[in-house]
Amino acid sequence: MKRGLIVWDRAELPSEAFAARLSAMDQLCTTYEVPAVVVYTDVCRSNDVRYVSNFMPYWNRALTVVPRGERPVLLCSLSPRVYPWIKSVTVHETIVPSPSLPTALKKLCEERGWGRVGVVDRDGLPWELYSQLGDLVNIPHSAFRPAVTDAEIEMHRRGAQLARRLVETELTAGGSDFELTGRLERALRRAGAEDLVVLVSDGRSPPRSAYGAKVGPESSVSIALEYNGHWVKLARNLSGMTASLGSARRELLSGRYPWEGLQSGDVSARGQVVAIQVAIPRGDSTLYHGDTGFEGPNGWQLL
Amino acid sequence: MLNQDRQRQFVSLMAERGWDMLLFYADQWRKDQFRCLVNVNFQGPQAVAVLFRSGEVRVIVTDPWDQEPVGAAVNGNVALSLSLTEGLKALFAGERAAVVAVNGLEQMEARYVEVVRAAIGSVPESATLDVEEIRRVKTPREIEWIKQAADLADRGYQQFVKVCHPGMTEFELVAEVESFVKANGAEDNFMLVGSGGTEVTGMKPPTARQFAPGDSVTTELTPQINGYYAQICRTLVIGEPSAKQLQAYSIFAEAQQAAQDLLRPGVDISDVARVQNDVFRQHGFGEYTGPQYTRVRGHNLGLYPDEFPHVLENIHYTVKPNMVIIAHPNTYLPLSGYMVFGDTLLVTETGCVSLSKTEKRLFQS
Repeated sequence: MKRGLIVWDRAELPSEAFAARLSAMDQLCTTYEVPAVVVYTDVCRSNDVRYVSNFMPYWNRALTVVPRGERPVLLCSLSPRVYPWIKSVTVHETIVPSPSLPTALKKLCEERGWGRVGVVDRDGLPWELYSQLGDLVNIPHSAFRPAVTDAEIEMHRRGAQLARRLVETELTAGGSDFELTGRLERALRRAGAEDLVVLVSDGRSPPRSAYGAKVGPESSVSIALEYNGHWVKLARNLSGMTASLGSARRELLSGRYPWEGLQSGDVSARGQVVAIQVAIPRGDSTLYHGDTGFEGPNGWQLL
Repeated sequence: MLNQDRQRQFVSLMAERGWDMLLFYADQWRKDQFRCLVNVNFQGPQAVAVLFRSGEVRVIVTDPWDQEPVGAAVNGNVALSLSLTEGLKALFAGERAAVVAVNGLEQMEARYVEVVRAAIGSVPESATLDVEEIRRVKTPREIEWIKQAADLADRGYQQFVKVCHPGMTEFELVAEVESFVKANGAEDNFMLVGSGGTEVTGMKPPTARQFAPGDSVTTELTPQINGYYAQICRTLVIGEPSAKQLQAYSIFAEAQQAAQDLLRPGVDISDVARVQNDVFRQHGFGEYTGPQYTRVRGHNLGLYPDEFPHVLENIHYTVKPNMVIIAHPNTYLPLSGYMVFGDTLLVTETGCVSLSKTEKRLFQS
């Protein structure tokens, strides 16, 4: 759950990057013949709206509405008391308190005289919204974010470098998996991690939430870290064993979810950020190793 | 593990409602919708448990690493499908004409609802409210986990007080507390903070703001043990509290105590809100009990840190034994800025007991 530092560092991710994305949304309006494009977000599906405006709902749901040729409007279920903070970390200047998102969107459409608006990945809407919003034009996710941009790749790279440096420092034998998790939480959150999920394997079962196991030479740790809206994953083991990351478990990190498993044939011709994790048999144990990279037509490259 | 107490209750519910299959759909945000039956902290984007009238449970997971822990909970009755659409299609391949309900239907992605609709010929019913009502009253085992979480919240707050100092940033403080509760067994922790003076109107995720003398530093700290959350809300002042901060604190303490004194089976939850708000009204601060300044005066706790019913004057719900509720009159006051104060309360047969042992006072650093 989000409880780390949420910032917008304009030196890392300049306003121009968002301007370009909003401009692309205008193009979507033209292509799909709609007056505005709507993007859904909630606590655990924040990647898409983060991409558009840098908004991340630490709680609840929201819709970002991008009218053609205008600044985006945020329909937000959070209290107006936090809007100054939201404005400080996003491109949003207009935030509409929206206890009911369908009601707020319908009202906005009426006020603007809009007919059908577009929505990114309509079938991915929660049923509660989908069933109330009526007739919407579906904009495929692949049209919305056709390829990971250089700015995104750079953010994933920063996150991966941060994670590698601190995980390799903190990963020592002794103590329990709870204690290891605590050390990683401290180091990574103090370094600016926005969200963090730590899983630990004792060598007998795949990585999972700490449950009190002793950390020893057969142990591995797998972390998922969100760095300013960009997820990375990596796995390391106490034995320092590595493996070729060419063919193993692959997860998409630059999609709708923080991570989602990819089938072996799911390769984007235009590039995506993908985590690879390998299980390494060693005696009766299994060690884990993995990392985050850019996967494009020329294969997977470590970020 | 499989929550067998709930399994029995849900099977009874299915018989009562005429449902052949009850799906428990969860994503990463609302894992509680799954964990109320299969209490495993899954890691994939979604998981679905399916309960049949016979009591049989099957699960679809979307992450290979979820197979083993989930399988251990349901006797191996788990299927892996990286695409939940494909997993649901396979599930329903031989289940036509079934009456299906979904716990968590409201959050279920439309594409998955459409898979169910295609299989059974109609939109599944929502089981969410019925399941929520069952979940509201905790089982003895659930109460034990919440007690452990409350104990960890107390210790976590001790750590909060110990490490908080002038010059520290909000996010560094959160990192320290998060580290402490995780090192001591928390599976997760919901935590918001605020810091500053009368300009502060609420809590939010931590920023890089540095604490300064005179600041009120607020938190709601909500560690999770085996899926179950307990919460504590306290306010700390950097340095000596001002007379106005002390005055504000006394109002919050009085309001929280009023709720604690009233809370018992049979009470309307709206009255638990009203007695808190009445304290503010009596002190001339009634306007600060509304939505412009505050969200809720408490809420139920369990597998989700913000369960219904919310404690609000316009919410009517009759309190039952073994509900676990936090009463927190958190709001903005012009005396102090935003201030928080609350304990996790277990409703007993005759009243309530606080599971929070942290001293009731305005803390100092």
